[in-house]
Amino acid sequence: MSEYIVEMRHITKKFPGIVANDDVSISVKKGEIYALLGENGAGKSTLMSMLFGMYEPDEGEIYVRGEKVKITSPSHAAKLNIGMVHQHFKLVSNYTITENIILGQEPKKKILGFLPSVDIKNTDKKIADISKKYGLEVDPSKRIEEVNVSIQQRVEILKMLYRESEILIFDEPTAVLTPQEIEFLLKIILELRKGGKTIILITHKLEEIKLVADRCAVLCQGRLVDVLDVKETSTKKMASLMVGRDVDFKVAKSEMNMGREVLSVENLVVKNKDGFPVVNDVSFKIHEGEVFAVAGVSGNGQTELADAIAGMLRCASGKIILNQKDITSENIRNRTEEGISYIPEDRQSVGLVLDYTLSDNICLKNYYKEPFCKNNLLYKKEFKTYSDELIEKYDIRSGQGSDTNVRSMSGGNQQKAIIAREIELGSKLMIFVQPTRGLDIGAIENVHKQILRERDKGKAILLISLELDEIMNLADTIGVIFSGKILKIAPASTLTGNMVGEYMMGVKEHE
Amino acid sequence: MNNKKSSRPNGLKKAVVRLLGNPKTQGLAIPLFSILVSLAAVSLMVMLFGKNPIDVFKSIMQGSGVLPKAAYASKKGMLTDFMAMLGILTPMIFAALAVAVAFKTGLFNIGVSGQMMISAFAASITVGYSSLPSVIAKPLVILIGIAVGALAGGIIGYLKYRFNVNEVVSSIMLNYIFANLTSFFINSYFINPVSRQSRYISQASRLSIANFEAFGLKMDLPLAFILTIPTAFFVKYLFDRTRLGYELKAVGLNRNASKYAGMNVGKNIVLAMTVSGALAGIAGVTYYMGYFSSIQPKVLSDLGFDAIAVSLLGNSNPIGIIFSSLLITIISRGSNYMSSSVGLQQEIAQVITGLILLFTACGVYIRYRVNILKEELEDEKRELKKEGGQE
Repeated sequence: MSEYIVEMRHITKKFPGIVANDDVSISVKKGEIYALLGENGAGKSTLMSMLFGMYEPDEGEIYVRGEKVKITSPSHAAKLNIGMVHQHFKLVSNYTITENIILGQEPKKKILGFLPSVDIKNTDKKIADISKKYGLEVDPSKRIEEVNVSIQQRVEILKMLYRESEILIFDEPTAVLTPQEIEFLLKIILELRKGGKTIILITHKLEEIKLVADRCAVLCQGRLVDVLDVKETSTKKMASLMVGRDVDFKVAKSEMNMGREVLSVENLVVKNKDGFPVVNDVSFKIHEGEVFAVAGVSGNGQTELADAIAGMLRCASGKIILNQKDITSENIRNRTEEGISYIPEDRQSVGLVLDYTLSDNICLKNYYKEPFCKNNLLYKKEFKTYSDELIEKYDIRSGQGSDTNVRSMSGGNQQKAIIAREIELGSKLMIFVQPTRGLDIGAIENVHKQILRERDKGKAILLISLELDEIMNLADTIGVIFSGKILKIAPASTLTGNMVGEYMMGVKEHE
Repeated sequence: MNNKKSSRPNGLKKAVVRLLGNPKTQGLAIPLFSILVSLAAVSLMVMLFGKNPIDVFKSIMQGSGVLPKAAYASKKGMLTDFMAMLGILTPMIFAALAVAVAFKTGLFNIGVSGQMMISAFAASITVGYSSLPSVIAKPLVILIGIAVGALAGGIIGYLKYRFNVNEVVSSIMLNYIFANLTSFFINSYFINPVSRQSRYISQASRLSIANFEAFGLKMDLPLAFILTIPTAFFVKYLFDRTRLGYELKAVGLNRNASKYAGMNVGKNIVLAMTVSGALAGIAGVTYYMGYFSSIQPKVLSDLGFDAIAVSLLGNSNPIGIIFSSLLITIISRGSNYMSSSVGLQQEIAQVITGLILLFTACGVYIRYRVNILKEELEDEKRELKKEGGQE
């Protein structure tokens, strides 16, 4: 038997219009943590989907434990003891954790000797055992909708362990987690390796690879660029291999030039459906030329705060004042006209109409104004002229220019389209929520530069991000939000990443 | 580096791509292709019954007045049959347009039948039983149809907007309410004891001219047909060119993004159902007060439900709907004659309609396959070019 547990040789996979994998060969040793690094669209997920039986390669061969296999379905992969945690979890939200874990492999028992039923009780115990063994504490009787994302991810991992998978594939496991949760997950991954599992980690985050991985394969545009020994390679080298050029980790930032006040939020309260104040008595001000960043662990009210300012959510009490004007009870359109640009967290289900063309999306916020619309009639030629201009200016790449269906565009280019549209509104206040989520290094750099450029133009910027690095890099003023309250507001220069991290966990002043 | 050889013969691929691959003509080419495939399937089925498919198709067309029959009764001719077909085509087009308007806004108007009935009932008791002269009565019937239909549709939209009531549930419930309400009033006040239907409306208010004589033939002239094509173009214009259409489509595709863009989502939902209901209203008056001249109490028309399928066959495209309505109406109208002349059960005609719809549902899949073929061809071309360039 060869020393490799998984070998993929000369794999090529094509989709209409793109070659997702082009003659890629990787070999993974038993018991190692093997990272797949690459930008979005580099073909990492596709490669692993083939190992997991979701696609079949057009060319090339797959060997598992030295034997040539043709993996035709995920259940086939499961038989080969291959498990995968997908980027978007595949869980049934109104089922309990146990039910989700055993789904498809339900242990059966017979009531009264003949009525077939599912043996939940014993499974609960078995699951509790596994979770204790690897430090993955869960309450098996809770339903998926009752637990947060990080627990859901644990359930996905438990699912693999329950099926006795030996080769565990993690697809961008940290994309949805907070810094603390990431740390915990990485620990688990190391724990799993100790338990003899082989782990394949798909990611575009270099720090994580540096922390846990043994070896790392770098993919760029579908091709395998290099396989590196992680200990002996610098992050900088990995980044440049991945992007294909040298990358600046820090964006050059000029001195802040603060002007008059643009936004003032006074004692704002936003309640959720159950009447619970998710944003609780929040007050802050943002000035021209200032980046005000809200740091916080996911789910502490930052999205609701942005939604409330943009008008997507109603305020229970408090005031929002924009350019000295009270806009608390204005509707979304009036706020946009008053000068709010909003780059929402969820670009696909909020920021864009995916089945509209690029030009229709670029005009989504001014389609009703001249010259796009006169007397309730639309002038599509104007749409196209305007969007062609923005496509050029912001380097938005797509298959058929203005006529491209936005659904077919890459995430980075979709984000570019939103940012282009919102910047061109010329609003005084720009709200960015998680503007770089899911983007690759090159695109992140680009977004950061744009944010700073707008700041230097004298815009007031509200940046909400879960990435502490992003906040430390860009912010002039930092506000830390914890369970709906702003715990601390201070100039960025007076805070360190560690201090902000502590406030994010709810630690109060300790001067 | 890597040689890509395709297993399929290239000639066939190229032919398929040339025929169906052009994105500009795909909207038309793919439904036509599906219809051809379905006709082939129908032929096969007919042959299993031991009949000649050509005879079947011919007699269907004869029955709906598109081809001449061998013999006619006195004062009847191909034109008579054709006009009768147009008479039922008219409400079909309006009803399918009603479904399409809602569908584009992401709503499912399954209540077209009920909206048709209540509109026709309202127009009947106000104008149909009056002695107004033709010039006033006919336009008034249409206007009342539009108004009542719009109101009936608007209620569904408002319930959805205000109380988040699923439009499918509310429109089914309203179907029952409308059907029973009208039947109560018809049975109590407007019944014709012989036919067990509502009393006939006045000829002046009827939207077709009965027993019109021309070329030595007698026929029912469906006046409202002249409104169908302009209405279809109007709906197309509404969606392609107006601000309202842009908003309706956006709401249909992504409600969150529409809200985010500052559109009034609730208003658009109510408006879409109002327009849909108005179109259903016209369908109602042209059906009950044009093709027929009375209302059968308690029975909802099948047409309002068939319109859903017709609208889908036409890809919710107003112009496509004209043709899909025509096709389905020809088949359903002609099936009677076909079954008697060829000797096949009338149910077979329904199977034909079903097969056509089945294959059009596959249209999306066909398009997907064709586009993959196209990409493959383009890839090969690119590679050839590359290799040629290197040598």
